[in-house]
Amino acid sequence: MKVLRWLPWVALAVLPLVLHSNFILTIFIFSFILGMAAVSFNLVFGFTGQLSMFHAAAFGIGAYVTYLAVSRWHVSFWIALLPTIAITVAISIVVGVICFKFKLKAFYFAVVTMAFSELARLIVLNWNSVTNGTLGLMVLDKPVVWIPGAGSLKIDGTTAWYYFSFIGLMMTVAVCAIVLRSWIGRCFAAIRLNEDLAQTLGIDIFRYKLLSFMIANILAALAGSVYAFYIGYIEPSYLSIAQSLDIIAMVLLGGRSSIIGPIVGAFVLTGLPHVIELSAELRVILYGLILILTILLMPNGIVGTLVSRRRAT
Amino acid sequence: MLLEVSSLTRRFGGLTALSDVSFNIAAGDILGIFGPNGSGKTTLLNVISGTFPPTAGTIRWKGNGIEGHKPHHIAAAGIVKTFQNPQLFLDLSVQENVAIASHLRLKRELGSRRFAELLPWRGAARYPDISARIDHVLVLCRLDDVRDQLAASLSYGQEKMLGVAMAMMCEPELLLLDEPASGLGEDEIRNLEEVLQDLRAAATTLCIIDHKVDFLGRVADRAIALQQGIKIAEGTPDEVLRHPRVIEAYLGRQHARA
Amino acid sequence: MMQLLIGQVLNGIIVGTLYGVIALGVTLTFGITGIVNFALGEFMMIGAYFTWYLVDFGGLPFAVALLPAVAGTAACGFLTDQLLFRFTRNNLVNGLLVSIGLISVVEAGALLLWSATPKEMSYVLTGSLQLGGISLPRMKLLVFGLLAAVILCTYAALSRTWMGRAAYAFAQNPEAAMLMGVKTARLQTGVVVYSTALAGFGGSLYASLYTLEPAMGGLYILKGVEAAILGGIGSPLGSLVGGLILGVTEAVGSIYLPSAFRDAYGLIFVVAILLYRPSGLFGADK
Repeated sequence: MKVLRWLPWVALAVLPLVLHSNFILTIFIFSFILGMAAVSFNLVFGFTGQLSMFHAAAFGIGAYVTYLAVSRWHVSFWIALLPTIAITVAISIVVGVICFKFKLKAFYFAVVTMAFSELARLIVLNWNSVTNGTLGLMVLDKPVVWIPGAGSLKIDGTTAWYYFSFIGLMMTVAVCAIVLRSWIGRCFAAIRLNEDLAQTLGIDIFRYKLLSFMIANILAALAGSVYAFYIGYIEPSYLSIAQSLDIIAMVLLGGRSSIIGPIVGAFVLTGLPHVIELSAELRVILYGLILILTILLMPNGIVGTLVSRRRAT
Repeated sequence: MLLEVSSLTRRFGGLTALSDVSFNIAAGDILGIFGPNGSGKTTLLNVISGTFPPTAGTIRWKGNGIEGHKPHHIAAAGIVKTFQNPQLFLDLSVQENVAIASHLRLKRELGSRRFAELLPWRGAARYPDISARIDHVLVLCRLDDVRDQLAASLSYGQEKMLGVAMAMMCEPELLLLDEPASGLGEDEIRNLEEVLQDLRAAATTLCIIDHKVDFLGRVADRAIALQQGIKIAEGTPDEVLRHPRVIEAYLGRQHARA
Repeated sequence: MMQLLIGQVLNGIIVGTLYGVIALGVTLTFGITGIVNFALGEFMMIGAYFTWYLVDFGGLPFAVALLPAVAGTAACGFLTDQLLFRFTRNNLVNGLLVSIGLISVVEAGALLLWSATPKEMSYVLTGSLQLGGISLPRMKLLVFGLLAAVILCTYAALSRTWMGRAAYAFAQNPEAAMLMGVKTARLQTGVVVYSTALAGFGGSLYASLYTLEPAMGGLYILKGVEAAILGGIGSPLGSLVGGLILGVTEAVGSIYLPSAFRDAYGLIFVVAILLYRPSGLFGADK
């Protein structure tokens, strides 16, 4: 049985060797990167029970900071991730402390994180000297990886990006798995299920909500960095509410009670427009309908529903 | 004196739930709190455990003031409360519920090293001590055979015992029990009494609210009675239960005179 | 300079009442169903487009077109309640997410039907009142008057009629209200329909003054929610006041600060209010 769990990962790992369609592999790359964003969002939403609308902001901030560090300080992609993480931590603490210290309940938490996300987007939109405003930034650099025995490899071209983003996804999943399977994950579950009880048992819900928010944002920022360097272009819409909603849709569709559920959602929503030929508006309508139907009919998402079916038999 | 409550008052808008309540609990005591519905007993426990701050008055725990502190802080200091309506993590199994309650124990044992335990190679063979303790608590509370069942599927009596089990897992010095026996059958009450004796043997101080006057009378060695937020009697359970004001509070004026 | 300031304040008041009527819809829906209906902005957009269509293509005079436009919007609201929100009564997060999904669907639908090209409805009431050297366009005064009247009437109806009090009772304690015979399902449907009608009404009046585009819904719902929180969720008067404060601040602010900041005021208000007086300006102090 355990073999079956590893099978999809192995299959994904060998896919480019078998399938030579750049078109399909590109869809996979997008799915992996957005999967990173979705899995990390689920950490704070599905597992800790907090509906944060700040995730896209973290995604976008990561993209901008990493690129700016690379282009202005002439450091490598990897070194540039350090200021990205530092800034994300700082912002998470500010927003998180404000939200959690004041014990904002569910809806208000969503609204305040949305407000901060919009504020961040407005700052990015208007800080022309740094971000170039609506025009956005072109990212021409590519990350460079040093492989022992083969020297340095520039991540360029579909196959390289496939493996780069795949490893990124695996690392995101690994981090989430380690956190969630530990006693910290139990604290998150306690907060999600019954905050009052959790407090009585000695769990500092402020601290752990903040921790889950911060880890999620850091992983989102890393996802955003990868995304920016892949697409080669960054714009303020990375931080938009629409982007947050896309990520939420992936999590809901895939299933919020498992770590990998959101990945399934990312694949479906990323692949769908390429499978069905539709005008842009019809596609949006389809997405909206899928989201609504999922919430009403399949609240556990694809993975969740499959898992409970298997348990029932 | 382990716990010293002085002039505790709590108002909710226009309603005074507690008014100038004072009493002490010494280490090793089992204090029973009597009183009819609405007398403020649950509010008293809520204020002590940090769910609400008092409007006035102080609470000293081992000499330190704890009034108004956060619930998790007070739990870490050694005071743990159970809920009148059992509060559980419904989507999780009984064992997982108790495992979550091991948080404080883990914190005390490992301190900040527990963050290092996250690293994969440190292994989660982990905490054998805590596993043993979880087993012990489950057996004691007669929840061992349902340990893998979802908390949502338990009977009412089992739910209450699970609440007690989780509180026990926190290894409190003072355990506040809010109506632990209500809704329990005779058999379950006997089991509960065994658990309480066990707790007492482990040097846990207890403070219990209950409606079942005979149960509380058996279990407690000291008691106070509340009515409409005011303490109206104090002494041994017998003394308190025979106090005219207490009888009047429970049964009405005529009976007190008779 | 004074002219400019006063002119902007007036503009702010008009826009503020538009925010206020959406805020009223938000507050009512939240108070009674527990869900914030994020799609209300889209219903405002629908109302605006229906009105435009009836006036410019149906040839109806504006005043006559108002009724079917609002009724049509309310009918759409009824549909969404029966098909969607009915199933999320007990799960608030789901209701929230459904309303968000609805936004994309409706907005894309509008794009399909009417395209993104901004539409302008023909003039309804021209001319302005001259008051002490200041020119007040008549239509704007009318819009302000109508919206304020609707909000105040709603407030009066809620506090004085049996139905209104039942609504409050339900919001406080759903089970008790049910036991007392308040038809809760009907109440919830009713509030959804009424709030969409309010939004549609706001949209119709909006159409008489400004250009229409499918994206307008998203903007107004955000402001509506901000105004509702500012004024205090659950308070109809609060919606009006919150909307006015927001509208005027944005309008006056645009004189002194770059227009880029316009959307930031509302956001900052929300954060500030939730931190320092979470029940809002008019909400009950918890």
